[in-house]
Amino acid sequence: MIETRTKRKIENIIALILCTLAALIGLFWLVFILADIVVHGIGAFKLSLLLEDPAPPGVEGGGLRNAFVGQLMITACAILIGVPLGVLGGTFLAEYARGRKIARFISILSDIMVSVPSIVIGTFIYAILVRPLGHFSGWAGAVALSIIMIPVVLRTTEDMLTLVPWTLREAAFALGAPYYKVIIQVVYRGAAAGIFTGILLSIARVAGETAPLLFTSFNNSFFSVDMNRPIASLTVSIFQYAMGPYDSWHAQAWAASLVVMIFILFITILGRVILKWRYGKR
Amino acid sequence: MNLPAEIEVKGLNFYYSGGVHALKNVNLPVYKNTVTALIGPSGCGKTTLLRCFNRMHDLYPGNRYEGEILIGGENILSGDTDLIGLRSRTGMVFQKPTPFPMSIFENIAYGLKLKGIKKKAEQSERVERALIHAALWDEVKDKLHASAYALSGGQQQRLVIARALAVEPEVLLFDEPTSALDPISTAKIEDLAVSLKKDVTIIIVTHNMQQAARISDWTGFMMLGDLIEFDRTDKIFTSPSQKLTEDYITGRFG
Amino acid sequence: MASLYKKNPVDLLFSSITAIASFSVIVFIVGIFYVLLSESLPAISRFGVLNFITSTDWNPVRESFGAATNIYGTFITTTLSLLIAVPVAVGIAIFVTEIAPNFLKGPIGGAIELLAAIPSIIYGMWGFFTLSPIMSTYIEPALKNSLGKLPVLEILFRGTPMGIDLLTASIILSIMIIPFTASISRDAFNLTPAVVKESAYALGATRWEVVKNIVIPYSKLGVFGGVVLSLGRALGETMAVAFVLGNNHRITTSLLDAAATITVTLANEFTEADTDIYLSSLFYLALVLFVMSFVTLAIAKFFLLRAERKYSR
Repeated sequence: MIETRTKRKIENIIALILCTLAALIGLFWLVFILADIVVHGIGAFKLSLLLEDPAPPGVEGGGLRNAFVGQLMITACAILIGVPLGVLGGTFLAEYARGRKIARFISILSDIMVSVPSIVIGTFIYAILVRPLGHFSGWAGAVALSIIMIPVVLRTTEDMLTLVPWTLREAAFALGAPYYKVIIQVVYRGAAAGIFTGILLSIARVAGETAPLLFTSFNNSFFSVDMNRPIASLTVSIFQYAMGPYDSWHAQAWAASLVVMIFILFITILGRVILKWRYGKR
Repeated sequence: MNLPAEIEVKGLNFYYSGGVHALKNVNLPVYKNTVTALIGPSGCGKTTLLRCFNRMHDLYPGNRYEGEILIGGENILSGDTDLIGLRSRTGMVFQKPTPFPMSIFENIAYGLKLKGIKKKAEQSERVERALIHAALWDEVKDKLHASAYALSGGQQQRLVIARALAVEPEVLLFDEPTSALDPISTAKIEDLAVSLKKDVTIIIVTHNMQQAARISDWTGFMMLGDLIEFDRTDKIFTSPSQKLTEDYITGRFG
Repeated sequence: MASLYKKNPVDLLFSSITAIASFSVIVFIVGIFYVLLSESLPAISRFGVLNFITSTDWNPVRESFGAATNIYGTFITTTLSLLIAVPVAVGIAIFVTEIAPNFLKGPIGGAIELLAAIPSIIYGMWGFFTLSPIMSTYIEPALKNSLGKLPVLEILFRGTPMGIDLLTASIILSIMIIPFTASISRDAFNLTPAVVKESAYALGATRWEVVKNIVIPYSKLGVFGGVVLSLGRALGETMAVAFVLGNNHRITTSLLDAAATITVTLANEFTEADTDIYLSSLFYLALVLFVMSFVTLAIAKFFLLRAERKYSR
């Protein structure tokens, strides 16, 4: 009996060590990837990256100003389309349709849609917005990204509104307020931090998306702010430059990756901090 | 009064991580083959004390004991105590039934397997004995391989007692075992506790004073981490020597 | 509640607007399916369904298209990445819920979740410039010289280690899905009531025995849902794989060979498709991917919901 106990204890220790090792492996990858991007990115970063447009292929110098501006425009337009639709849709699920089958159904469908391959959404937009119009466009890219954003914003809005206690609404109803005023003036205020976090996380999600832009906004080596034409984006530029033949392109791809990564990690961490500050430990 | 004390608590202090002083210099004997009840208002430390006997507090870092608890003469609070060994000598039953996600049979055989009893025949025999012992055998003998979750709350609680009994512990620790049960199930568990004391020593934490009066031989009254009074149950409930004890008991009985 | 807003015209308007916004999700899902299907029709009528899925011929010049090589590449990379990721992810979840001291739980959990926030283009870059050379210089030759010498396993390690292959792609994919599986497993493990774990400890179980016999059986539905969800994610991952898989339409037994997944083919060839049937075949591929991942994700959701319902009592 003593012998089995020793055996059990050894098994216990081995298993615990293996699990600890698993955690270390996870941390190892994180540190490895972050450090690699930071080291290469800082080494390659020049101010000209932000201030100059691309030099002709093979020529040293130049930057990715066009891609920074393009990325900002595509993302901003995606936010303008996706956030209102997501917040309003989440409002329907949590308020007007609360507890109804349709709310549950849309909620589940959104959860699935969050993980639908983004490249598939790219092909969908190509078929409905690019080919009929005959050209790639910034708008097509923005719509593709907004389709990715909507379910994310919708689900967090729904969850955050559900967290607002029902008694708060009753108190407002008791004062004679119609439901829409209760929602806009009371419920939204109660859930503002949570909804804002959801929006931040959805921005972090789409700001790094590449696949859905490949055949929608495409790419443009010239500076352009015309959303009706192909427009450069950082992520597509990174893909193109990294796979390209020139060392100067590789360096710019690293530097651009660093910028994208810092931006996304900053937003993600900010979102988590807000969530933790507002809703406590979870 | 010269009963053999199976457990001796000597100068026990307990601090939760964060520094709350939850038990203050507690001394008490627990006599072999008796039922000892711990009563007191909530937060008095009765559950904390109970969880010292199998060192459940060690599961959470930062908790600290001072003093001694002797079980069979051995101080289980000493640093070199084998917790696995200690816990296989003591059984514990919680407020809510805690069936494991396994069949009825496997639930009871689990402790046996941990003890290294692998033979199916011996397992079956001891599972049956434990179920008979816990007065559950007749109700489950035809569905031993059904999920334990299919049982009613009262049956689950007796299953958990059978699981604790199967490893033949010296001490059974009950932490308000009937607080989540209906009156009929409660009566069954109480009868069971009384009948089990011929084989094991029982310590029961309860917030229900009638229950303590009905089933225990000895009672300890606790308040704010102090053991105020410890005596024979009939003495505690008829002529307590401490004013605090009397107030508590009379206040509750109205 | 319904009567509360039906009387007020503004409420009627606002509720209709929110309803339309939420129905957009249904419109998108149905729309994607419908559009992909109608765009694929020429390819479907030319190559059929079974024939398209089983044909290994992907030849734009002869205008003959079959999806088998792409499906095979997707299948191998996702399977291999799950094989690598699931044990690590479950180990991480066990570490975070049952082993780590309290002050480490939050930071380590958060750090692992940061892995999920890194965009796939960055994984791709890193894989292409950093991991791939390490694979081709150190790890793949080592595997070739050890496992590759064994009688049966040898077929997995044929060819020259280039670092642009199924193995490298699967490793990157596994790093990407570790955080999903880990965080869902962690949430599932946390649903195990503390008192059930305590009763196992009270019987004298070790920490590992509590995990193995109580926590994992208790939460297996949730963990399984998490694994299937990760599978769904891995199926559709594009950029991380596009960098390091090459684009080789061939079925190969060797993990050291370049290959193509559905996503990589789409990313590389969609804008180059010069004939209608070529483009239609690519839409067909996208349709296959959409259906595959939708079904997988729906199954995952089904298990996660069942797990939630079972334990929220």
